[in-house]
Amino acid sequence: MMKIEAIEVKNLSKHFFPSMKERKRIRMQQEGSEKGTKNNIIQAVNNINFSVKQGEIFGFLGPNGAGKTTTIRMLTGVLKPTNGSISIYGGNIWKHPIEVKQILGHVPEEANVYMDLTGMQNLYLIGKLYGLSKSERVNRAEQLLKQFELFEKGNLKAKKYSKGMKQRLLLCMALMSNPKILFLDEPTSGLDVKSSRIIKKLIKEYNENGMTIFITTHDMDVANELCHRIAIINQGKIISLDTPDNLKKLTQEYLAIDCHFIDTVNVNEIKELHSIIEVQQNNSLYHIIVKDINVALIELVDFIKTNDLNVKQVSTNEPKLEDAFLKIIERGVEN
Amino acid sequence: MIIKDNEEIFSEELKSERFFIQVKRSFAIAKKDLKIYYNKGPVVIQGFLFPLILFFAFTVGRNIIPIYLISGLMAMVMFMTSTSIGPVVFPWETRSKTLERLIACPISIKTILLGNIWSSFIFGCVFSIVPLLLGILFFGLWASINILIIILGIIVASLAFSSFSLILSVPPTDMPANTMILTILIKFPILLLTPIFMPIHAAPYGIVSPLTYYTDIINVGLGESSAFGPHGLLLDFCILILFGLGFTFLAFVLHGKTLQKRFRG
Repeated sequence: MMKIEAIEVKNLSKHFFPSMKERKRIRMQQEGSEKGTKNNIIQAVNNINFSVKQGEIFGFLGPNGAGKTTTIRMLTGVLKPTNGSISIYGGNIWKHPIEVKQILGHVPEEANVYMDLTGMQNLYLIGKLYGLSKSERVNRAEQLLKQFELFEKGNLKAKKYSKGMKQRLLLCMALMSNPKILFLDEPTSGLDVKSSRIIKKLIKEYNENGMTIFITTHDMDVANELCHRIAIINQGKIISLDTPDNLKKLTQEYLAIDCHFIDTVNVNEIKELHSIIEVQQNNSLYHIIVKDINVALIELVDFIKTNDLNVKQVSTNEPKLEDAFLKIIERGVEN
Repeated sequence: MIIKDNEEIFSEELKSERFFIQVKRSFAIAKKDLKIYYNKGPVVIQGFLFPLILFFAFTVGRNIIPIYLISGLMAMVMFMTSTSIGPVVFPWETRSKTLERLIACPISIKTILLGNIWSSFIFGCVFSIVPLLLGILFFGLWASINILIIILGIIVASLAFSSFSLILSVPPTDMPANTMILTILIKFPILLLTPIFMPIHAAPYGIVSPLTYYTDIINVGLGESSAFGPHGLLLDFCILILFGLGFTFLAFVLHGKTLQKRFRG
């Protein structure tokens, strides 16, 4: 059966006129001007096209300032596009905002719950704004708080919640009306492991029950684990759109060596080795992308010997989605 | 059908239904505003402290007759309290990013503004009753009072000044202090132009201040005759209603224009 388009975006653009502060900053950065500042305009999103099918988890990846949040704000009817069209199940969010927003749920990037209200009061407020009856509000709020492991703290003011709890409460608020499409802007950013796991698990569950999910994230594990398709946006333009597996294939000619050093090693020194393409450091783990594994291993062993380094563990791996992402971004910048 | 081919996805109400639904949702906004903002610094300063300080500044050492004392105090409290929440909500919610949360809900900017008006209205009404009760208790004004005129006056004036207060939060700033400066610059001259704690005809320039017409209504309600002649009371109500409607319309238009500037960066 053909799947219905839940979201259809055509030629979508958004530009801002810079404020006085931004004009100063732009003038200072003028030489390295990246994000279209022609004619004193900031081109946040530049003519993007994509569609999201019903029941899909669609990832939107990009570096800071790429245009992810601006896009999600346009899709949820918060920001008005400069050009282009957005169709949600065939409905235009700017012509019929009330009807279209009624079927959307939105988790913005920053924890923006009402700190002076309790978790329960926050949910009741959203329930009222979506037109739920009193009994629906009570039942739904209790059900969601239990699902997201917040029920015990439901009567506590939100300002007493941890960041992870606030993020879970935001998700509960977005799910109050049981939306057909859920927009998540960096849902697991900076969260503790417990909150992150709960959120990922429930996103999967809601999607399995038919909810379409649009997610922006920096977290490649989240994107890899959850998303059916991923669009990569940089400098306001979509530079790649495919499944995670196909995106990873872009780096198939490469392999990765994961090396745990006991000593601290300068990343740049490893990068200087001839066969090394890229190095990412995460504490003592060095994720090294190489083209020829045999040559790279010999070079690496020489490097370890020469510098008298202690190694805890070495393993070879397939490149991760993160490697593909970096490659696509670099290619986009070169182009 | 507005949204073709998707009857099962979108529910569509009639225009009249949609109006009542939005009004109902604005009550939820009002309830939220009252719960959150009643104890915020700028509201406490402008809603409680300023009227108290100004009352003493205006009255200490002066021989004021009880009717003018109570009507002046009621006018000042009404004006200061009903305009204390409105200018705070938008910058506060822009900064805490809760405005983005509200705009993403199925409500319009008008619904949010209407909610702000209701909350300021309730705030203004409740606090205006306090000086009235004081007047009744300490000056025995009960005998000459026309409670209907006073209640109607409080309702109309509170709505009018609440809508006026929304104009003060039009600049798309996320700093409540910025709107406070603007608020003081506009509210104080209005207050100083109004002939409070004195007969209205003693200050003819007072006709430019909308607060004068509320003061006149209260004076009439407390047993005085209107300063604007036999149809003065009607004139007072008409001017306050026009003032309220005009500022509500202006707030809808201006906030609609500046709203997008709040969601940058």
